[in-house]
Amino acid sequence: MKIKGRVWKYGDDVNTDVIFAGKYTYTIKDRAEMAKYALEDLDADFTKNAHAGDIIVAGKNWGCGSSREQAAICLKERGIGAIIARSFARIHYRNCLNEGLPIIISSEIQALVEKGDEVEIDFDAGEITAGGKKIKFPPYPEFVQGLVNDGGLLPHVKKSLGLA
Amino acid sequence: MGKTMIMKIMERAAHKEVHVGERVWCDIDWSTARDFGGANCTLQFDEITEKQGRVWDSDKIAFTFDLQAPSHSEKVSNNQKIIREFAKRQGIKHVFDINHGIGQHVLLENGLVKPGDVILGTDSHMNLLGGVAAFATGVGNTDIAASWLSGTNWFRVPETMKIEATGEFQCGVSMRDFLTRLVGDLGAGGLDFLAVEFAGDAIERSTLAERITLCSMVTEMSGKIGLILPNGPVLEWLAGRAGPEVRSRVASIAPDADAPYIETRKYDVSKLEPLASCPDAPDNVKTVREIAGTPVDQVHIGSCSNGRFEDIAAAFAVLEKSGFKVSPSVRTIITPATNEVMRRCASEGLIEKFLDAGIVFTNPTCALCTAEHYGALPGGDVGCSTTNRNFIGKVGKGSHTYLLSPMTAMATAVKGVITDPRDIIC
Repeated sequence: MKIKGRVWKYGDDVNTDVIFAGKYTYTIKDRAEMAKYALEDLDADFTKNAHAGDIIVAGKNWGCGSSREQAAICLKERGIGAIIARSFARIHYRNCLNEGLPIIISSEIQALVEKGDEVEIDFDAGEITAGGKKIKFPPYPEFVQGLVNDGGLLPHVKKSLGLA
Repeated sequence: MGKTMIMKIMERAAHKEVHVGERVWCDIDWSTARDFGGANCTLQFDEITEKQGRVWDSDKIAFTFDLQAPSHSEKVSNNQKIIREFAKRQGIKHVFDINHGIGQHVLLENGLVKPGDVILGTDSHMNLLGGVAAFATGVGNTDIAASWLSGTNWFRVPETMKIEATGEFQCGVSMRDFLTRLVGDLGAGGLDFLAVEFAGDAIERSTLAERITLCSMVTEMSGKIGLILPNGPVLEWLAGRAGPEVRSRVASIAPDADAPYIETRKYDVSKLEPLASCPDAPDNVKTVREIAGTPVDQVHIGSCSNGRFEDIAAAFAVLEKSGFKVSPSVRTIITPATNEVMRRCASEGLIEKFLDAGIVFTNPTCALCTAEHYGALPGGDVGCSTTNRNFIGKVGKGSHTYLLSPMTAMATAVKGVITDPRDIIC
């Protein structure tokens, strides 16, 4: 699979409160509705102008803080193609996987791109093309890829229990 | 090579030998959800099972109503109702409704948590239960819903860092200050994917409340779990609540002498002074002396990190030395972690004195950790709090928060500006 999209670029330690504000978590249960408030307390431009297929490039510890899955759902429903970060906070890492939102760990791309640049990701080759350069990224760990191949955690569990 | 505590916990839950770095399926002892996120879990479970599904074990699921207790709006009330109806339909009896307090603390006080347990919850501070050597972690609704189907979930066996704390705290300094030092030193992502074992004589002497403070804030360094092996009075208390099995569990998960640690950090807590996490991140750490004199609008003492009786009593001692008066320019709010804590505050006469001083003493709840409940700050206000996060906008758009120890928070409430508690009590 290949995707191509415009970059939204952020720094280190972006927390899930600014990705999806706590005040909406009690009242918004509709997934498409969640997408409207994505990154509201971080970047009003993103909240207004992000398009399906766009790609987030961030620093280390993306998604730290609260365990709310809405922080992954709002980006998935917004159509974000992938998040590339130096590292992910562990609870958010699980939530992105569980929502089928592709996440890529890379320390090289941050220096190569700016907001609005176009980036291409070839998931099969494990390669990002940005600013005329190609960067390799590691595949998911084998265990995680197994879950992804089954369609995610829930389909995997249902399959293992003979429910699917 | 020996084994760390988290390796032994995961071996018990996975029924096999585990190795650092591998991913293993673990049996879940408790899969919990609170009013925050709980409705999403139940709706997702019903959706994937077409409303026909039964949970794997209704005696291993608990609901805690703590974030919006009591509910402040019709929408929240409807969310809470969804959870109550699901629990009834599934025969889930462990429903701790709005009259109990903060979920992890309530589970602990009710004797439902044992060392070595594997526990999931929709609260990123579940890992405060590491204070009694349980492996508890916050997760999203999909992880909860999946565990309700199978009674299992997967985890990476983490590397472990050892943090040794020795010495005694000086007057006016507390475990919260040590924790703030750690967050400042390690940074917001400093423990990402890691387990931590806290050891050393300062830890061995510490109270349950102090252990909870320390382990709850591992989340603010993105850590997986902070673990402290129960000993002394904490072990006695826990065995009294959760039963004699606690003792054999402790023995079975004690780390080996040659357990592998990726790093050992040593601290002498007697060298610490009062510290603060400054706006707008827990790892933006300064000494209270550096920021003393900063005017504040509101002080809040409470939360899953510092809402135990001992925390409130430490604040009380500062108030007592100040003639039981807080500054009229500051709104001061105290929130006990649980009903049990609140009752003790009442029976020991603390609440009456707090009320006399002009302090708002609330029911037990997490409420002041969110902008969507009472105590929210208006734009431009400066708050001081013993909660665990001061991310921008968290308790009100355009407001800023300093995170402090209960003693520093009360000293600040008394003076109306950020104040080193040593100026009052030492």
